[in-house]
This record gives sequence, C-alpha cells and structure tokens, in this order.
Amino acid sequence: MSEAEFVKVKYRLTEQVAQPGGMTAGLASERAQRELAAHAGDAMKSLGNMIGRLEVMCRDKTASLDQVYEESSTILDIAGLFDKRVLCDACYSLCELVDRQRTHNKQEWTSITVHVNAARLLWTRDGQDPETLKSVVDGLWAITDRLNP
Amino acid sequence: MALDPKIRINLDRSRVLLIDDNPQALEALHAMFRGFGVRKQFKCGSGAEAMHVVKTQELDLIVIDSSMPDMDGYDFVRWLRRDAPDISKFTPVIMLTGHAARSMVEKSRDSGANFVVSKPFTPEILLQRVFWVAKDERQMVVAQGYVGPDRRFKNMGPPLGVKGRRRDDLSTHVGAATAPNLDQSDIDMLMKPAKVQL
Repeated sequence: MSEAEFVKVKYRLTEQVAQPGGMTAGLASERAQRELAAHAGDAMKSLGNMIGRLEVMCRDKTASLDQVYEESSTILDIAGLFDKRVLCDACYSLCELVDRQRTHNKQEWTSITVHVNAARLLWTRDGQDPETLKSVVDGLWAITDRLNP
Repeated sequence: MALDPKIRINLDRSRVLLIDDNPQALEALHAMFRGFGVRKQFKCGSGAEAMHVVKTQELDLIVIDSSMPDMDGYDFVRWLRRDAPDISKFTPVIMLTGHAARSMVEKSRDSGANFVVSKPFTPEILLQRVFWVAKDERQMVVAQGYVGPDRRFKNMGPPLGVKGRRRDDLSTHVGAATAPNLDQSDIDMLMKPAKVQL
C-alpha cells in the first residue's frame, strides 16, 4: 500500500462567499429560477425534437444501442436542468434499460419503443396529473427490471 | 439538509468555469450562475477547451457535466487533479451527472470531484452544493490511485485490524504496558499542578 499524502487546501471561494454584500440564498435561487425560465421554452422544443429522433430510431430499428443511449442521456441532461422530474425518470429508465441490454449483448426494440412512447406522453403532459404520470414511470421501471443489471 | 434561504452568499467576485458539450445545457447553467450573482463565467463545450481555460485563468469553481464525448467529466477532473498547473490543481469541482452507466461507476468514484449533483436538480440544490464546496474542509488526498478530496467526510480512523495510511492515524492495537502504573500522588500532581519556586 503506497503512502497517501494529505494536503490542506484553502479555497478562495470560502473567503468570497463570506464577503459583505451579495444576497440571500433565497433571493439567489429565485433569480436563478427566473433566469432559467427564460430558456425553458427553447429547451422544451429541443426535448420534443430529441424524442422525435428516438421515435425515428424505433421505427427504423437500425440505430445502435449506443446511439439510443446517447440521445436518451441528452434528454435526461436537458430535462434535468429544468427539473422535469418525470421525464427525467423515464429517460433514466431508458438509459438503464439500454445499458442492461448492452451488458447482456441483446437489442430488444419493443421495450425501447414503450419507453420512447411514454417519453412523448410525459413531454406532452408536462406538469399535469403527477400521480398518473408517476404510474407511467413505475410501469417503465417494471419493464427495465425484467432484465437483470 | 436544505440551505437556509436567509443565509447570505456573495459570489460577485467568483470566477466560475462551466463545461458541458450540449450548448443548451451550457446556457441553462450560465443562466443559473448569473442568477446566483456570478459575474465572471467561462463557458466551454469540451474538455480540451476547458483545459486551455484552466491553464490560462485563475478559477474559483468548476462545474462540469460528467458525460461528454472525447474527454468526459471524469477524465477532465483526473487531468485537473494530476496534470494541471499547481495553482489550479485543487480547484473545487462540482460534477453533474445524468445516468451512471455501469462502466462509469468506478470512474465516478475515483474522479476526484468535490461533490456530485445528480439530475434532475433545481437552482436551490446547485446553490446548496456551491455553499457546501465553500465550506468543505476536507483535505486533499494525493495517492497513486486517487487525487482529490478525502472521500471520508468524518475521520473515524482506519478500520479495525487495518494499518492506517494517514500519518496521524493511531494504531488500534492496545499493547502491553511499557511502564509501571502511576501511583495516586503522581495522578494528583497531574490534576493539581503545584506552584514551583524558581
């Protein structure tokens, strides 16, 4: 076992946050939320386009699992920044499904298509009836969990 | 533990580097940090671009997305902690993650980022992590297989029966006494030091 060296580091950030002035955490969060809201419309449009690309992949069935994973992961990334929780959960399930299919060396389009259709539904119904949307996501996880990690 | 909304935080002078290959995600991050009051932000769409910024700018915080083509977030932090100029080596890093593929789990654990924020998150969560980073008192560990903040938040000492790797780790083995027990007067002397005439 090699000897580990421990270094005490003093971050400039530590001094900066404590400087007089600035704003309260509550105000900073509110401001950030407002700034972010200005980008939400474009983001939702892009998410729709990305789901569209996944739909084409499911129709043509020629894309590789890596391509499906990449697209789904990008949706998760964008939706995640805008706190689109259910869409994120659906895409997380799709990423996990594809990752498990990669591990098992099998590509099964039916379960991928169910995920993509659900993602379209969740995107269309963003913010409506959270209980029903959650049950859709639970269903997706039931499909993903049929394949062992 | 939620961040107290009344707590004051000043990021006016902080220089923050944001790295994400997706331009939309990068803009969203930029918007959030603008809301937090950060005036100086560097935006990079790739690890290579970010490496250049690290080499030429003094930074106070780096926020990076874990999944990127070519050089992903984990590889970037690994480079930062090992090969970046000394002044930037230990710059605090917040890693943003979406889905963690099985092949990435170990890489993520060993990356050397200060905190990992999993998506989805709100600006409040991100601000909380920035605050945590500012209050992070963990030492940096420099070892052959890992460079980054100590992954143990609380130093409980080495596991039983394992020789510690820290210089100040104490042995868990209690050996036989090497000197006779103190008698009561010695103990009293320790508890009540007497005034000495010099």
